[in-house]
Amino acid sequence: MTTRTPFDIPAHASTDDPRVTLDEQLGVFEPIPPYPPRTEREAEFYTLRDGEMFLNMGPQHPSTHGVLRVVLKIDGEKVVDLDPVLGYLHRGVEKLCENADYHQAICYTDPLEYISSLFCEWSPVMAFEKLLDVQVPRRAEYIRVLSGELNRIASHALFIGWFALDLGGLTPILWSFIERDEIVEMLAALTGQRMLFNYFRIGGVNGDLNHEFMSRLGTWMSKATHQINSNQALLNENEIFVRRARGLGVIDTATALQMCMTGPNLRATGVPFDIRRAHPYSIYPELDFDIPSRTEGDCLARYLLRMDEVKQSLRIIDQCLHRMPDGPVMAKLPRLIRPRPGRAYAAIEGPRGQYATYAISDGTDQPYRMRIHDPSFIHLQSVGLLTPGNLIADTMAIMASLDPIMGGVDK
Amino acid sequence: MDRILRCRLESRFGERLTGPVRQRHDETEIRIAPGDVPEVLLALHDESEFRFRMLSDLAGVDTGTTMQAVYHLWSDTTADWLRVIADGMSRDDPRVPSVTFLWKGAEWMEREAYDMFGITFEGNRDLRRIYMPPDYASFPLRKDFFLADDAARSPAGGVRHMEQTHGPTNAQTGARIRQAPSS
Repeated sequence: MTTRTPFDIPAHASTDDPRVTLDEQLGVFEPIPPYPPRTEREAEFYTLRDGEMFLNMGPQHPSTHGVLRVVLKIDGEKVVDLDPVLGYLHRGVEKLCENADYHQAICYTDPLEYISSLFCEWSPVMAFEKLLDVQVPRRAEYIRVLSGELNRIASHALFIGWFALDLGGLTPILWSFIERDEIVEMLAALTGQRMLFNYFRIGGVNGDLNHEFMSRLGTWMSKATHQINSNQALLNENEIFVRRARGLGVIDTATALQMCMTGPNLRATGVPFDIRRAHPYSIYPELDFDIPSRTEGDCLARYLLRMDEVKQSLRIIDQCLHRMPDGPVMAKLPRLIRPRPGRAYAAIEGPRGQYATYAISDGTDQPYRMRIHDPSFIHLQSVGLLTPGNLIADTMAIMASLDPIMGGVDK
Repeated sequence: MDRILRCRLESRFGERLTGPVRQRHDETEIRIAPGDVPEVLLALHDESEFRFRMLSDLAGVDTGTTMQAVYHLWSDTTADWLRVIADGMSRDDPRVPSVTFLWKGAEWMEREAYDMFGITFEGNRDLRRIYMPPDYASFPLRKDFFLADDAARSPAGGVRHMEQTHGPTNAQTGARIRQAPSS
């Protein structure tokens, strides 16, 4: 077996260079870094054995759900190894938050996972409330749960569409967008924004429920179960889809825990771990709902589990509407917030897993340190573990089934 | 607050704790030396009275004088989050042993902390920059890294303009030098 290390290849010439003629072969994107390997793992990855080659995927690839670049090491049609390259969407949200005051920091967290923004706001808001020792009014908590569960359904609907799209089916995304659009319009009526809501405030929410939201919600709830069931029938009974997804990207419980997975991806391996029950927050202890879990741990299980979660979310919304108390939606707080020095950690269960914020206050009106933990980042890591041995086309299926959002991965 | 957990932690790790066990809301916090991280986390992970099987978060913190690596753990034996702070790393060359032998998923979180704070996690086999370009030279989330144009650079960074700045300021930028709370 011969080994070849391609690190001595010079960085390719620019097209602006007059010496470059059109006859010369110019690679569009050279996957091999022009510098010597920095770590053991990088040296191992960028060393080709017989019959292997690199294939660059992304950063502009439709199935990477954003701007993710993956360098695949392939042997024929089989993926031997892969190296995700992040940072194309890095905005430095943590740094921006540390240079904004507590209220401003919330709106920086919205675009992290732009299809489930309410959850991205929720965990920093909870951490700041812990720093301040604020009691949130019960009506505000109910509104948070209500809008949060709606957002969860919208996010799962989009997941189902995307997942089917990455497996080659075009119809489901058109169907799931019907659901998602209705919820998004509903939340727009409540919050004033379609995607980046900026709705949760320290000590409550920005506005009370209004008539348009309630009437839209009522209309949707009356047909939601029926629509979701018919959407499910589209995929659950589709033999091509089921045979493609079953047994693909299997992860077992011990490995999932080692990989720090949370949320549906962990529950699909048989652990009924949900922070709403494992470490209760808000009003979830008062609500009656189940934590669905599955034991297979493959792509199909992850998909089916999300369908089950949508049903539980509908149950929660129904209970919230029936038990919604009266009262204020904001706690009494000064405009200028300066918590006493201290540290707080708050975690919530989002559609993808655990969103958490670790905030340190130094007594000024800006957070001293604000660490944002995002589940997409953690789950994308395990693509490298699940994909080797599968076909190139399965890379997209596995990635889509883990449901990472690049806004959250790149912070 | 879980008093029992506090007693257990004190009796198990007595002399290893570099500070008192602190509890607030649903959080319990211990401080250890960076060198003790593998042993303490292994004990917390494996021993039946702790069973902290989930690494909930791993963060780097720059306190202005030292570097910290902060681990948040979850267990089914307690209703609290456990926060383990590996404190007292020098800002010039912060080093702490990696926990990838326990949680392989910590690899990227450690890469992120390395990228943002320059903390070297010894034993992580893939410790390269994850967000910033490979030729980038500084560590953006350190407190001596100022934003190009923002309130942090203004003379009253972090306080309202009608208030005076009393603390030390950076001579070049005029920004207030912030320090983490000591308690």
